[in-house]
Amino acid sequence: MMSSDTVNDRAITDARALLDTLLSSGWQEVHVVSGETEIFIARAGGGINPMRNLVASAEPGISVATEDVAEICVTAQHVATLVDIVPLGTDLQAGDRVATIRILDVEEAIPAPVAGRISGLSVDVGALIEYGMPIFSIAQAA
Amino acid sequence: MAIKRLFIANRGEIALRIVRAAQALNIETVLAVSDPDRDSAAAQLADRTIVIGPASATKSYLDPRLIVHAAKESGCDGLHPGYGFLSERAILPTLCHAHGIAFVGPEPEVIDALGDKLRARAMAGAAGVPLVPGSDCVASAADARREGDRIGYPVLLKASAGGGGRGMVIANNAEEAEAGFHRASAEAVAAFGDGTLFMERFVPEARHVEVQLMGDGRGNVLHFGERDCSVQRRYQKLVEEAPCAAMPDHLRKQLHESAVALAASVNYRNAGTCEFLFDVKRQEFYFIEVNARIQVEHPVSEMISGFDLVQEQIRIAGGAGLSVSQDQVKLTGHAIECRINAEDVARDFLPSPGRITRWQPPQGDGIRLDSHMTQGAMIPPFYDSMVGKLIVHGSDRADAIARLSAALDAFVVEGVPTTIDLHREIVAHPDFIENHIHTRWLEQVLLPERAKRAA
Repeated sequence: MMSSDTVNDRAITDARALLDTLLSSGWQEVHVVSGETEIFIARAGGGINPMRNLVASAEPGISVATEDVAEICVTAQHVATLVDIVPLGTDLQAGDRVATIRILDVEEAIPAPVAGRISGLSVDVGALIEYGMPIFSIAQAA
Repeated sequence: MAIKRLFIANRGEIALRIVRAAQALNIETVLAVSDPDRDSAAAQLADRTIVIGPASATKSYLDPRLIVHAAKESGCDGLHPGYGFLSERAILPTLCHAHGIAFVGPEPEVIDALGDKLRARAMAGAAGVPLVPGSDCVASAADARREGDRIGYPVLLKASAGGGGRGMVIANNAEEAEAGFHRASAEAVAAFGDGTLFMERFVPEARHVEVQLMGDGRGNVLHFGERDCSVQRRYQKLVEEAPCAAMPDHLRKQLHESAVALAASVNYRNAGTCEFLFDVKRQEFYFIEVNARIQVEHPVSEMISGFDLVQEQIRIAGGAGLSVSQDQVKLTGHAIECRINAEDVARDFLPSPGRITRWQPPQGDGIRLDSHMTQGAMIPPFYDSMVGKLIVHGSDRADAIARLSAALDAFVVEGVPTTIDLHREIVAHPDFIENHIHTRWLEQVLLPERAKRAA
């Protein structure tokens, strides 16, 4: 696990590199999403910051796509194999285990980011999940 | 068992190079990619890609568990680490072995032993490889004078406990050695609380030469000649050539024999490079280190030998013996490689990633380009800035320089600044043409000249 300092340092390095890219190119704006980092940089008169209206995830290691505020899709943070996952329709509290993934011989739990009902399963047990692939969706309890 | 499906744990031009080598051997390829590398040239050519993690290298290309997990789950029976990233970390072959995957490289124990400078030096000494002349502990100014006289000037006085240049003094004669002892020892006491010194010969104008090796893991080792990589900046190589035209044949023979002896003494398996410092004035060479992987500059050795080193790497990892004997390795002509980086030379070589808007590489006889770039390709800001390696082969060094010069002139890249212009200047410089260069030449001669012109 990287320390938050390392994560921050990397984000700063990435932002510098992107700023340099922007300045040395003819672009008006640059927007990069990768891992835990999302960076948007624009020149004066550039595009509107797409991150302005985004609800960020409070849960570390879980990325949240908010097509609909009520449904949260949890995607893989790295390559792994799906060991087990709760059935569709299961009601869970925030932090409850939804799925178990495995890297080589080490298993890791994926918790529910919020309280709610599992509304979508995207991967079969035993399948290889790649980085960024949706694993499950959870409909947030009202 | 010959490898049937190869996992490639790298990116950029070397990933593409390995995919092509595997395909030439009818081996399936699975490529590990990070999120921004999904559409790389290697990804487009590989049979399958697996997105292992985000852009951050520590969470993708530098995580051995993710790499080996992806390799195993995709049914690969071999893994090529390329260069950089995890290529010289023993954990990668260790995990590969534990999961039944053949590692394209040496045994983890050999990687560890060679990676430790002191152990590597001891192994080299035991194999009869020349080491930089030096002393044991030096306890007094009189000792320093005696040792300096024995080693030969100039010498370097170094703190035993030290590092980072502190407590280090260069002495050009016996008087300086005595005076230097007092100064270096006092500095060492102040910096490290320990005034113990040792001495080493200092070579102010050295060339970097290295021998390309290939071993079968059973004590048989071939060499594919030497390379001269003396055009460097901050220990990074910019231009590499083969052979080392500044080295006489009798010394060349000793150099090859030394490198082979060292590799054979550890039953070295797969590709490796033994690096040396060449003191042209004294006509002596000294061991630096062994790099236990394929190197960036391997193409110049391929050009003069006509032998595909990466294919041989994959065959050997699959259990095959060496496919040629030493007398079948014929070295002809002269090859030079330029590493082209997306860097702004005028801004202290600032890495300048971005999109390539125009990509028009040179073509012709004796020209080879190892690159993953195309028009419209993106250089992500997260990794090294190399856009490719331009390699030429000529009948001799002068012919190779002429071809390289023409090839560099024809090379058009737009969208990002590159080091192509700098390479044009290097290749056109009288010192380079006359081969009067050394490892600090670029920083001490060419770059200051360039800065002066710009001022």
